[in-house]
Amino acid sequence: MANNDASEEPAGGSWVIVVLAWLPVTLPLLWGIWQTVKKAAVLFR
Amino acid sequence: MAGLLSRERIVAKPGFNRWLVPPAALAIHLSIGMAYGFSVFWLPLSRAIGITEPAAGDWKISTLGWMYTLFFVFLGSSAAVFGAWLERAGPRKAGVVAAFCWGGGFMISALGVYLHQIWLLWIGSGVIGGCGLGLGYISPVSTLIKWFPDRRGMATGMAIMGFGAGAMIGAPLADILMKHFATPTDVGVAKTFIAMGTIYFVAMMCGAFGYRLPPPGWKPAGWTPPAQKSAMITTHNVHVSQAWKTPQFWLLWMVLCMNVSAGIGVIGIASPMIQEIFGGRLIGVAGTLQELTSQQKAQLATIGAGFAALLSLFNILGRISWASASDYIGRKRTYFIFFGLGTALYSLAPFAGGTGSVTLFVLIFCIILSMYGGGFATIPAYLADLFGTQYVGAIHGRLLTAWSTAGVLGPVLVNYIREYQIDRGVPNAQAYNVTMYVLAGLLVIGLICNLMVKPVDQRYYMTADELAAARTLQAGQRA
Repeated sequence: MANNDASEEPAGGSWVIVVLAWLPVTLPLLWGIWQTVKKAAVLFR
Repeated sequence: MAGLLSRERIVAKPGFNRWLVPPAALAIHLSIGMAYGFSVFWLPLSRAIGITEPAAGDWKISTLGWMYTLFFVFLGSSAAVFGAWLERAGPRKAGVVAAFCWGGGFMISALGVYLHQIWLLWIGSGVIGGCGLGLGYISPVSTLIKWFPDRRGMATGMAIMGFGAGAMIGAPLADILMKHFATPTDVGVAKTFIAMGTIYFVAMMCGAFGYRLPPPGWKPAGWTPPAQKSAMITTHNVHVSQAWKTPQFWLLWMVLCMNVSAGIGVIGIASPMIQEIFGGRLIGVAGTLQELTSQQKAQLATIGAGFAALLSLFNILGRISWASASDYIGRKRTYFIFFGLGTALYSLAPFAGGTGSVTLFVLIFCIILSMYGGGFATIPAYLADLFGTQYVGAIHGRLLTAWSTAGVLGPVLVNYIREYQIDRGVPNAQAYNVTMYVLAGLLVIGLICNLMVKPVDQRYYMTADELAAARTLQAGQRA
């Protein structure tokens, strides 16, 4: 991968790390979106 | 410490998964995105002395509101000034500096609240924090574009979506923290600033340390650059010092400025606008806003806040969806849709208000705000297409001065036109009509500028020797 024109499949185990890395940003994001959806819901009542 | 932050240390090792970079970028963008949510502090800060109601010596909300101007001005200025440094120093160093500025700004602001010195808030969050905003905003752009040459729009869209979503997390979190820290003698803002500054500092440091650069020449497995390249996507690079001399840079500057001016103007007036245009119809009673009881006005205020919240949802959805779509339909066509459809929708808004169709009115502004967000998120990929990827972060930084300009121009324009209409005796409910036509006019200017964008003249391209020298210089910074 260090050479030019290198292209490489990510290591199989790294997908677990990917999921773990996404969790700390996804969970607060979903919480924030949920808070906003609750606030916006009054428009549809 | 310098070694730990250097570019060499963050070149990815074999087997690195590129999908680890977007969450690092999101950690930074979700943190600095709280800039949009600062208004949650205005009411408690306006009674920092009086606690239950404003007392002598308490700050006015209009005084506190200057923070937004400082945010936008210093975001654009710092991104423009430090963009070239970021390309040399690498995204991790820039992310760490941004974390110190943004987190540190909160700490200085906490001291300002404690000592009741407004200038400390302006310097802390406004100036120093504003510099953190600029550096943090551009820190992942170039890196993401290099990791996702096959999906430039989607990659930068993910990060920039985080900036739009930051206030969705930060504002309710601040509300919870202020209630937790409030006492009979303290509104709880200073302690909330300390808590949030610490949280954001840690999150941004994690993001900065999560950044990795692809090795030179890296490309995704199984991906080969399209054989038949679009004329609008260059394989060359333009140096940041040359980019701003090209007409394309200034056309895109106008494109961003017009798109943001129109959208930001609407965001600022969304809540009062829907209340004044529809009045009692929003709650099924007759009468204009002025004719309603205080209880009915409170109900309308809740609906107005709900409308603003819905727009912010479409703002972030637009960032990821339009930017991703631009990978397939092209950047120029994407902006053509923003400006063409946007002009039609702004022109249609007074009609929707006149017919009393709340659904149509809300739908119009949801689409408009999705395109406002999309405009932010698609511009880095547009720049990379036209100027190459070598200096795209620095060029994007300079282009963000358009955002600073729009941050002042949009709200001033909207508020001035509305006041002018009301002073001339136009009923409040119709005072927004001219505003909408003026905003549509801004989008027509943007449409023309976008249509004028052509590939950059090859005389601006870096030569092979210049590119090699630039890459050697970057490699030298790594050592």
